[in-house]
Amino acid sequence: MKKEKDHFYRSQKFMRAFQYSIFMTVGITMLVAALNLGFFIVSLYVYVRGDVFSIGGGEVREALSITENGYMLADDMAQKLTDKEQWAILLDAEGRELWSYRKPVELPDSYSRADIARMTRWYLDGYPVWLRVWEDEIMVMGAGKGTVWKYPVEFPISWMEYMKQVGFYYVLINIVWIVLLAAFFTRRFMRNREQARIEWIAGISHDIRTPLSMVMGYADTLEQNGELSEEARQQAAVIRHQSIVMKELIADLNLTSQLEYSMQPLRMEKIRPAQAIRNVAAAFLNDDADGNLEIEVEIDAQAEQIMLRADEQLLQRAFRNLILNSIKHGGQSETVEIGIRMQEERRRFIKPLRNGDRFVICFEDNGAGYSEEVLRRLRDNKKSDANPNIRGLEIVKKIVLAHGGKVRFGNREEGGSFCEMRFFTVKD
Amino acid sequence: MDLYEHKILLVDDEPALRRMVGGFLTKAGFQNVVYAGTCLEAEAVCRREAPHLILLDVMLPDGDGFSLFDRLHRETAAPVIFLSARDEDESRLRGLGLGADDYITKPFLPEELILRVTAVLKRVYRIREEKQEDRVIDLGDCRINLGSGVVRRKYAAGNSTDGESGGNGGGQNDAAADDIEATLTAKEYAIIEKLAENRGRIVTIDALCDAVWREGNYGYENTLIVHIRRLREKLEEDPSHPKHLLTARGLGYKLV
Repeated sequence: MKKEKDHFYRSQKFMRAFQYSIFMTVGITMLVAALNLGFFIVSLYVYVRGDVFSIGGGEVREALSITENGYMLADDMAQKLTDKEQWAILLDAEGRELWSYRKPVELPDSYSRADIARMTRWYLDGYPVWLRVWEDEIMVMGAGKGTVWKYPVEFPISWMEYMKQVGFYYVLINIVWIVLLAAFFTRRFMRNREQARIEWIAGISHDIRTPLSMVMGYADTLEQNGELSEEARQQAAVIRHQSIVMKELIADLNLTSQLEYSMQPLRMEKIRPAQAIRNVAAAFLNDDADGNLEIEVEIDAQAEQIMLRADEQLLQRAFRNLILNSIKHGGQSETVEIGIRMQEERRRFIKPLRNGDRFVICFEDNGAGYSEEVLRRLRDNKKSDANPNIRGLEIVKKIVLAHGGKVRFGNREEGGSFCEMRFFTVKD
Repeated sequence: MDLYEHKILLVDDEPALRRMVGGFLTKAGFQNVVYAGTCLEAEAVCRREAPHLILLDVMLPDGDGFSLFDRLHRETAAPVIFLSARDEDESRLRGLGLGADDYITKPFLPEELILRVTAVLKRVYRIREEKQEDRVIDLGDCRINLGSGVVRRKYAAGNSTDGESGGNGGGQNDAAADDIEATLTAKEYAIIEKLAENRGRIVTIDALCDAVWREGNYGYENTLIVHIRRLREKLEEDPSHPKHLLTARGLGYKLV
């Protein structure tokens, strides 16, 4: 069953889902990035405005002036340090204290080289400190215990070099991850949505069928009723006929929705397409009371043995639709001539990518041919304003695609239309 | 038992539809129609009335028709025709081989319903009544008796019985001394039987092969052609210009 479903993922439907998921990925990534950046900027702003950062040693040193009484700190800087509950010590090259401001009482007046070495990176007696060397003096800026978390960061250069090489792939892997994850969720989301839609359509068509049974049944009864006037019976005949049209519309609607979203697993079996073609052609000829229909079937000997994995009922439906279309648009001539060819297609130069050869089934007729508008619609798969009634042909297209085939509609040079369908055979 | 005396049980939850279908059946001549609206009711009615055929809606308020079908089949051998309002059921009915005798998709025309009901009843109850001896295929100047597998053909052109040949079907009394008699082989018999069942209609090569060699025997097309030629020699006045056993080119054959 898995395999059959894969056909679908090669189809346009999958492309749409794929585009959608890429769009989602880019969207989500940008959203996350924007949110992160926003948070960072906002927090930084709050931080800076709150003036939480410590005041630099250089700044304090510049605010110091030497007088005959020793060092003098400018008033505004003193105020600043007080406000931020910071303190400062100025040491000479030997580690002796030259000056200090708001120094915690438990700290000594002089420091050994070992003390200084230790505090450059870490803490001084539990106080976070920052050192700044100023000519031959050392300015030690400190803050309250437990206010700042310090951690020296270092990386081996070789690692940095290594990261330069692999970093690209690392980022790439991350992106792939994000894309896949988004695709997964998108598909799940889309599936659920499609499932709901299909069920809705199936439900509606189910609900319509029972009342329509009664419209159809009673219209038929009225039509047969000899007591009614001829006019009334004619009208009943119209109702009956139109209810049959509605029945077909509902069946088409249901089939289209299921093929479009390919939710209903096709009932795949190994079949002989040649047989299906004959079945359909014979049924049409048998029902053709006026003898206005000619169907010529040409299946060469190799093609006769070709097997295809297909839902036979659906495939026959496609063939029926093509013949119906030819009958409907018969053109000028009295008789509708339809030719059906089936041939094996050997490709000598290009090795087939999938195991199995290709074969082609071609339906041709002598009718009016497809209009430009119809061909464009069938090719582009886009809905246009001028909406030709090609529901039947669209179903053909969907059925062929659902079987992993390709379909081409066109007009023959000598007049009339053709429809070429290509499929892969099954290898035993 | 007469065809129209068979009792039919109609199970559908929609009263209006029950009324309508019941009306069709009555009008067509079936006088014994009983109804049920739910699974529960259907089982009770089935036990009480012992119907000969059951028309069963797939969707019922207290369960689905498929499981009801399983339960009913344990108690009765009556044939079942499903009434379905969904395409999905159609594929299920086709594929699962539930053992249902037929199915009809809503909406349907009365004649379709009556045709299927009649066909199923005939198939299930009357198959033994239709004796092989009575089955004669009349082709104008040639008569095939499916009971004995004998073909009897009027010799020479311009024989006098042409006019009445269509009218007195069933009799084998007018055998003249100059008639040509031939006996059909088993394979020829199978072919002619299949063609006669669909007289006037094209029967595909595939259907004929299926009838003669049963399922899964492909590649017998050429052998079929040989058998057809031999059949023509027995049936046709001029086998190379057949009048009765015609070829539908590329498709199959038909008997007219």
